[in-house]
Amino acid sequence: MEVDSTVVQLPLEENRQIVAFGGGGFSMESGNPLLDDYVVELASRRRERPRVCFLPTASGDADHYIVRFYRAFSAAVCEPSHISLFRRDRGTADLREHLLSQDLIYVGGGSVLSLLGTWRAHGIDSILAEAWRAGVILCGLSAGSLCWYSQGVTSFHGEVKLVRGLGLLPWSNCVHYGSKQGPRDAYHQLLRRGMCPGYAAEDGSALHFRGSRLFEVVASRPEARAWCVGDGGDQVIETALPTRYLGEPATEEPPKAGNLQAVA
Amino acid sequence: MSGAIVAIGGAEFTMRPENEALHDYVLSHARPREDGPLRICLLPTASGDPHDQIVSFHAAMERRGCVASAISLFRLGVAPIDFAEHLLSQDVIYVTGGSMVNLLALWREHRIDEIMRVAHERGIVLCGYSAGSMCWFEHGITRGGGAPAAVEGLGLVSGSHCVHYAQDPARRDCYRRLVGDGTIPPGLALDDHAAALIRDDEVVEAVRSRESAAAHRVRPGDGELADEVPMEVRLLPVSATAPESGLDEMRELRRARSRSGGGSRLGRLS
Repeated sequence: MEVDSTVVQLPLEENRQIVAFGGGGFSMESGNPLLDDYVVELASRRRERPRVCFLPTASGDADHYIVRFYRAFSAAVCEPSHISLFRRDRGTADLREHLLSQDLIYVGGGSVLSLLGTWRAHGIDSILAEAWRAGVILCGLSAGSLCWYSQGVTSFHGEVKLVRGLGLLPWSNCVHYGSKQGPRDAYHQLLRRGMCPGYAAEDGSALHFRGSRLFEVVASRPEARAWCVGDGGDQVIETALPTRYLGEPATEEPPKAGNLQAVA
Repeated sequence: MSGAIVAIGGAEFTMRPENEALHDYVLSHARPREDGPLRICLLPTASGDPHDQIVSFHAAMERRGCVASAISLFRLGVAPIDFAEHLLSQDVIYVTGGSMVNLLALWREHRIDEIMRVAHERGIVLCGYSAGSMCWFEHGITRGGGAPAAVEGLGLVSGSHCVHYAQDPARRDCYRRLVGDGTIPPGLALDDHAAALIRDDEVVEAVRSRESAAAHRVRPGDGELADEVPMEVRLLPVSATAPESGLDEMRELRRARSRSGGGSRLGRLS
C-alpha cells in the first residue's frame, strides 16, 4: 500500500492496534463517552481530525444504530463515515480504498456469525487485515470485539458456540463477562474442551493491543475489569488484569505489557 | 410433491392494492391446513431485518387470518429458536428483498440454505420479492456490490432470473448481456408487481397486480444482447382484504381494469 504522508507512522509492531471493548461505547453507555474518547484520541495521533468509519454489519446495518454513531462521532472532532453492506448501491463504491484511508474502524455489536458471514461475502475480512497491517486502528464492542480474535465465545443464538474470527489476535475472547453468569460458564466450558487461552472483558472495559500483545486495559467505569483466562489442567485460571479507569488521570506507573500476556 | 415457488419482481408490505393482490396470490397456493390458520414466516435477512418491514408484514398477514412470524438473524439473542423446526412447520416462507449476496452468505452461515431445500421438498410454498425472488434460481443479478453482477442462488429453479426489469435499466442490460454471451443460462425477467408461479421447475403462469407490469423470457438470440420474449400475464383481482386507506387507489385500479376489458386473460405459459 502507498504510504499516506499525512499520517504519523509508528514502528511496525506498535503500529498495529486493536481496541476490543467487552461492551460499552455510544451504543451501550449512553452519556459515558470515555471508551469512544479513548479510541478517537488514539486515532488523532495519526491525523489531527481522524477519519472514523463505522461498520454496523452485525446489527444488519440498523438505521437507528447508524444515526447514533453520527451523533456520538461528531464532525467537529473527526471525519465520520459508515459502510452499509446491505445498501451498497447507495454507498461507497470502493470498499477497500475507503477502509484503507481511515484512521479508525469502529465495529458495532450484534450477531458475530452474521457479521463474519457478511464480511466474507464482500471480502471485508481480508481488507480489514490489510488495514490493520497498514496501521489503521481497529476497534469495536461485543461482536465487534470477538471478530478480531482467533476464537470467540458466542451465546447470541441461544446455544453456546465457538466462533472463528479473523485471527488478527491469536487468542480467544469472551465479552459481557461479568454481566451475567452465562458467558463465563460458556467460556470456561470451551477452554476445558481445548479452546486457546485468551481474554475476558466486562462491559465498560477495553483491551488495547499493539501487535498481538496486550498493551493496556482501560475502563469507562471504575469497577469494570478484564481477565486473562486459560486452562490450567483441572481448572480454568482467571487472572484479573490491572485496569486504568479513564475517568481519572493516569497513574504515574502504567502497567507493563509484559505482565499481561495470556498463559500460552 | 415439491411446493410452489412464487417469484415476485418487486413488491412491499405497504397497504397499496398492488401489494395486497400479490399477498392473496401467494397465500392461494399454500395447501389448506386442517388444524388451523395458515402459518407464514418472514425472512427479512436480505435487508438486514429492519423492524418496520417486520411490523408491516405481520399486519398484512394477520389481516388475512394467518399466523405470522419472522426470523431475524441479527436479533436472535432475544428469543432463540430452532430454525429447522420453525421453518419446516410453516405453510409459506416469505423472503424480502435487499442484498442477494448477503442473503445467501448469511443463509449458508446459519445453514438455512439446507433447510430451504427440505422445505421445498416437503411442499412448503417459497416466495419472495427482489433478492427474495432471485434466490430460488440458479443465478440472479445482484446490485449488492454496487454495479449489477451475476450471483448464484440456491438453484431450486433451473435457469436465471432478473427482477426490477423495467425499473432498473442497468440491471436489465447486465442480464441481457450475461444471458446473451452464455455466462448464465436463459431465464425469467419480472418487472415490479409482476410475479411467476413455478411448480416442479416449470413456470405455470405469470401474473401482475399493476396493469403496466410485464414478464419476459430472456434467451440468447442473434445479437450480443439476449432476446426478450414477452409472456402472457394475467391481471390479478383486487384484494378483498385491502384496507380502508387504500380505497381511492383501489377505485383507480378498478377503473383501469374495466378500461382494459376485465383483465381475465388466463393462460398457461409454454
